[in-house]
Amino acid sequence: MNRKWVYGLAGVGVLAVAGFMIFQALSTSLVYFILPNEHAADPAQYDGRRIRLGGIVTPGTIAFDERELQLTFLVTDGLVAYPVRHSGAPPELFKESTGVVVEGRFADGTFVSDNVLVKHTEVYVAEGEHIDLELLRESLK
Amino acid sequence: MELSLGTLGSAASALALGLAVYALIAGIAGSVRRDARLQTSARLTAVAVFLATTTAVIVMQAALLTDDFSVKYVAEHSRIDSPIWVKVVTLWAALEGSVLLWAWLLTGYTAVLAVATPNHALRAWALVVMQGVQVFFLGVVALVANPFIVLANPPFDGPGANPLLQNHWMMAVHPVLMYLGFVGLTVPFAFAMAALITRRPGTEWMQLTRRWTLAGWGFLTAAIISGGWWSYEVLGWGGYWAWDPVENVSFMPWLTATAFIHSVQVQERRRMLKSWNVLLIVLTFSLTILGTFLTRSGVVSSVHAFGDGPVGPVFLGFFVLVTLLSLGLVAWRWDQVRDRAELDAAVSREGAFLLVNVLFLALTFMVLIGTLFPLIVEAVNGARVTVGAPFFDVVSLPMWMLVLLLMGIGPLLPWRKAETQTLARNLGWMTGGFALAAGGALIFGLREIYPVLTIGLAGWNLVSLGLLLAGAVVPRARLTGRGLAATTMRYAFEQRRKVGSMVVHLGVIVVALGIAASSGYRTDVQMRLPYGEPVTFNQYELQALAPFSERGAGRVSVGVEVAVFQDGRQVDLLRPHINAFGNNSMTVPTAAVRYTLGHDLYLSVAGAVDPTADSVIIRVIQSPLVTWIWFGAVILALGTVWTLVPARSPGAATVPAGATGRAQA
Repeated sequence: MNRKWVYGLAGVGVLAVAGFMIFQALSTSLVYFILPNEHAADPAQYDGRRIRLGGIVTPGTIAFDERELQLTFLVTDGLVAYPVRHSGAPPELFKESTGVVVEGRFADGTFVSDNVLVKHTEVYVAEGEHIDLELLRESLK
Repeated sequence: MELSLGTLGSAASALALGLAVYALIAGIAGSVRRDARLQTSARLTAVAVFLATTTAVIVMQAALLTDDFSVKYVAEHSRIDSPIWVKVVTLWAALEGSVLLWAWLLTGYTAVLAVATPNHALRAWALVVMQGVQVFFLGVVALVANPFIVLANPPFDGPGANPLLQNHWMMAVHPVLMYLGFVGLTVPFAFAMAALITRRPGTEWMQLTRRWTLAGWGFLTAAIISGGWWSYEVLGWGGYWAWDPVENVSFMPWLTATAFIHSVQVQERRRMLKSWNVLLIVLTFSLTILGTFLTRSGVVSSVHAFGDGPVGPVFLGFFVLVTLLSLGLVAWRWDQVRDRAELDAAVSREGAFLLVNVLFLALTFMVLIGTLFPLIVEAVNGARVTVGAPFFDVVSLPMWMLVLLLMGIGPLLPWRKAETQTLARNLGWMTGGFALAAGGALIFGLREIYPVLTIGLAGWNLVSLGLLLAGAVVPRARLTGRGLAATTMRYAFEQRRKVGSMVVHLGVIVVALGIAASSGYRTDVQMRLPYGEPVTFNQYELQALAPFSERGAGRVSVGVEVAVFQDGRQVDLLRPHINAFGNNSMTVPTAAVRYTLGHDLYLSVAGAVDPTADSVIIRVIQSPLVTWIWFGAVILALGTVWTLVPARSPGAATVPAGATGRAQA
């Protein structure tokens, strides 16, 4: 009888610790995917957190410094555009008006990314034109 | 053409399905009524099912190799100028074909089970379960996702297989190994269900299927590690495991299967942990179906995911059905399944195995949560999240350390209750090994906690293996008066299970060291290499020589030749490049790797190769001990094979251990 209680308690204890660890680890390593306008609506929510920002590369904003291996460009969803800085060469299919998902953090208004993923999307961005955000989100999956 | 390959293939798969349904019904009727004729009919029909499915596979290969684009699957996934090996592997390069491959392997296993295994009371019902699963997979092939649909207006050419899949010969190996693993593990599941149905929940079902289970587990292990190697060579980020949902989904059944192959030994010896064993194998099988659902339904996006369609809900339905039926069966027979005996002591072999079960189950649970969480979040509030690798690492690393710890001490613990003196002595030696190894690591300059712990635990385990071997061989040598070497050889040949498992555990240590070193001490940078100028990287000098382009069958490669110098001498010429297949806009950067025992030098083209530029940007990664992972896997595989080959001399470990209770070393 006594031993069963001890085992039971130990089991519950282990579960509790494990559950807590999982919960903690989960909440600190969730990487949210958002569009630029969602960040602009509430920047504080994503402060210091690792996120994925998706959008279209604004035409005319790509700059690559070959010496420093720094890539900069603007990513936009038609409503809000953010500057992105990436240490590394642009991936092969990276060009203007292409869909892109960048992973990293915001630092003083610039998105510092360590991973640039090019996504094929049929959403095009023209100056000031309204674009279908849902379509954009889906296509950046 | 009336008798086109498409119609032939559809007919073959429909025939296979019909025969499988008959075999299922005859099998059930024959088992319920104990009618030998019906049972025999069901068994022979299993062979017919296999032949019909083989015909379907041959027809599909013929269609692929002859570029018959009237067959829908070929039109969607093949291409005229692909090399022959690519066309052959296109059979499993996409959804419909991969289900066909799974079904074919399943019918093969079922046929062997039906006619080439000794008759046993459990076999009839086990076959029924296998045939039930068969009916499902053949049903998917014939009815839901038919690859043989005939196109009225066949195209002149197709897009070719997914470039990521064409890029590496591993495509020919990894999926087949994976399915062999999944199908192999269906057999113990079937026998477990048979044992529950026939009220024989003892050790028979496990002993009968021991070899099948180990082989299936071995294939699954090989599949997962080969998948890791494939990722490493193909995906360009120099890593081999990303905790990608599709990777996780093959990992979970492996975790429960590993717990299972250990836990069954307790039931064999002490008739305990019966309920654990049944539940573990049910969980293993359910997880393989859940995994198939997740990868084929489009709910997760990944390099592996096979995409959308009606197949998703069908697999989900099957998963729910299988889980409900098997758990229902367990509940119905719970009285016979539940453990009656209790552990004598926590510190014993049984106690160690129980802890192993708990740990692996906790790991499975953790991986499951991490994998399903994004789906749940998206279903609940539409937000898209990914659960990053840090989650899995942070939660699982402590558990892995515990697993390594147990792996060392477990085999040394006796059954029932550990005698304090021997235990203390063994622990003393092992702790010494741990301290020596970890101390050595610290002196060497390593400060990261998990690599140091892993090295320490490697020392712990090596001492344990030494103690195990010495404890068995030395008394034998004294008894027989032969030399140590001869006695060890003889021991290895006679006690295949024990020695095989020692070798497997050794393999695990090697893999663990490889993982610890390569995750902890990677250098990963992007470098600009001007042509003709050497650039220093760690102990190497890299010199980009010239860009190149070449054509292969169905592909165009553009890359850079990089000479690798060490101590002034050229030691290698690496050619990282980018492959483009057909007119597919998707290109695949292909890394060039210099493998050495101590580390890998990994070069991958970052960005594009511009022939007019005067430099090229290369991603350079140096990871220590990555080769150890692949070597460790080979050791693991050899150990598994050793355990499976039957021993020749009498008194060998094939006698079920519980029977005589002989004192084994």
